[in-house]
Amino acid sequence: MTSPVFWIGVLTLALIYGSLAMVLNVESGWGGMWDLGTAGLLASGAYFYAIVTIDDPGLGTTFVPGWPMWLAWPAAALFTGVVAFVIAIPALRLRREYFLITTLAFAEIIRHLIVIQSDLTRGTTGIANIGRPLDGMVSGRNYNYVLFAIVAFATVIVYLITRRLGTSPYGRTLRAARDNEALALALGKRVNRMRLLTFVTAGVIIGAIAPLYLFFIRAISPSLFAPGFTFTVWTALIIGGMGSIRGGVAGAVVLIVFTEAVGLIELDPSRINILIAIEPFMVGLFLILVLRFRPEGLFTERKAFGVPRAKVDSSAAPTATADSLS
Amino acid sequence: MQFVIFGIVTGSTLAIATIGFAMVRQTENFLNIAHAQMMALGAFIGAFLVDRFDMNIFLAGAVTVVAVGLLGVVLSAVVFRPVRNQGGTVLLFTSIGLALMIYAVIIAIFSTRSRIYSVNFGGLHEFGGVNIATGELVIVGLAVAGVIALQLFLGMTSLGRSVRAVASNGELAQVRGVPVNRVSNTIWFISSAFAAMAGVMIGVLSSVNAELGWHNSLIILAAAVLGGLRSIGGVIVAGLLLGIVMDVSALYIATAYRPVVAFGVLVAVLIVKPEGIFSVVRRKDSVVT
Repeated sequence: MTSPVFWIGVLTLALIYGSLAMVLNVESGWGGMWDLGTAGLLASGAYFYAIVTIDDPGLGTTFVPGWPMWLAWPAAALFTGVVAFVIAIPALRLRREYFLITTLAFAEIIRHLIVIQSDLTRGTTGIANIGRPLDGMVSGRNYNYVLFAIVAFATVIVYLITRRLGTSPYGRTLRAARDNEALALALGKRVNRMRLLTFVTAGVIIGAIAPLYLFFIRAISPSLFAPGFTFTVWTALIIGGMGSIRGGVAGAVVLIVFTEAVGLIELDPSRINILIAIEPFMVGLFLILVLRFRPEGLFTERKAFGVPRAKVDSSAAPTATADSLS
Repeated sequence: MQFVIFGIVTGSTLAIATIGFAMVRQTENFLNIAHAQMMALGAFIGAFLVDRFDMNIFLAGAVTVVAVGLLGVVLSAVVFRPVRNQGGTVLLFTSIGLALMIYAVIIAIFSTRSRIYSVNFGGLHEFGGVNIATGELVIVGLAVAGVIALQLFLGMTSLGRSVRAVASNGELAQVRGVPVNRVSNTIWFISSAFAAMAGVMIGVLSSVNAELGWHNSLIILAAAVLGGLRSIGGVIVAGLLLGIVMDVSALYIATAYRPVVAFGVLVAVLIVKPEGIFSVVRRKDSVVT
């Protein structure tokens, strides 16, 4: 069997995904904004943090600010919020699948820009050896426990924030606007402003989570932030239950632990490609099976709020129009 | 001018790749994210046939197109039909799940190593100062033939008429006795077959690797949205235009920006005219009023 340190690492990763899934839930589950841009925002925050904390001119980047961590961390969150704002201005004019396409397009634009701007980001090579908090004090493998504690603490904070948002009048309005926008507008709720605020806040929180992800993986490259990352977060949220409060984190733990456990199967080293294939295969299979057999997920919105939810997909199903195939 | 030619070649493959995507969007009412992975699968199967069995490229292409087409029918019945009544969002995320699974299967079977089609169509031809390779001519010719065949099928056969009826109004078609399931199977066959055809074409033009599907997902989406998700003619023009814009942009900015250009165009069109540049009907459901 594998060591406890390995499983602590797996749990750390699961909690990072879980935090992101909870943030996604505020936007998509409650706000009805189907955002496929999580990877892009996370990349913005992570790269911002990595670049401003570079203190080694030997890396060959043109820009060596060497900011300390206490400055870089909030700045990364703020920067990601600004990026989210820039995306939100055009994207929020669109709905449903068009919103989804736009956010995905922005995420891909960000990823390609990171590849292209190689004198700032070191392109596909990426940036390695990112400094971590308390690194000097605990050595070697024990650091995994420290990191787990930090991430767990952050996850609790994200959970408390999203729970507060969800049960507040603000959260109720958000859900009301999702289910019946005309009604929310008629009641004098400023729906567009609220959605913008939600999207930007989500960006700030994702930006704050980004350095944690960096501490976990140590080295970043653009390929980490491919659409597959966003899909994994989405799968975690769908397993856990869209619209519920703790669904995101529960789904992420189930998904990541299960995927890693299957990845432990001993295989001949020449079949390394099968090991690489396990993660997308499991995520895809989970997504299809959950949507088919339990589309509400483990924790349902009904249970979380004690009120029936309007049919989830009636708003998202495209209406049939009469124009024909030409 | 040379870049316009490149653009037309890119655009033809893109149009072929997008047609199937747009057909599924019209009839099944969801964005099939797995479409580009079917394309990648086609590219790999074609390369495998040529490589392993020394098959003629046209024969290999035909076998691939039929095989992937049939696979598409099976997958639609197993994966999509059970969740059909749950609306577009569930179908969309199911297709993301399917895309991840096909991607995983591609890696597991063919590994992440990139491969090239070992085919040679012969040299360059020169027409009034521009060069075009025989292979590129063949690809454009096949793309045109594919589109004409599709139009003939939709226009001249009774099954094609049923397809158009379902696309126009699925419920009415069902009430009027159109065999909806048979039509659905036909659409999935055509859609997947065209995806495979585009995959083989792209493979012949450049190379095949496991990321091919993801790289093309959003570009196909862009072409489909540009063309207005509901018109095949628009999709073809949009595919060609997008191909030309991407390749001609290489004259002014670094080629690395190609995808950024495509996605930038996508975002711009979505904002200015979300119903697509060739759509007559305004898509009321797409814009916040």
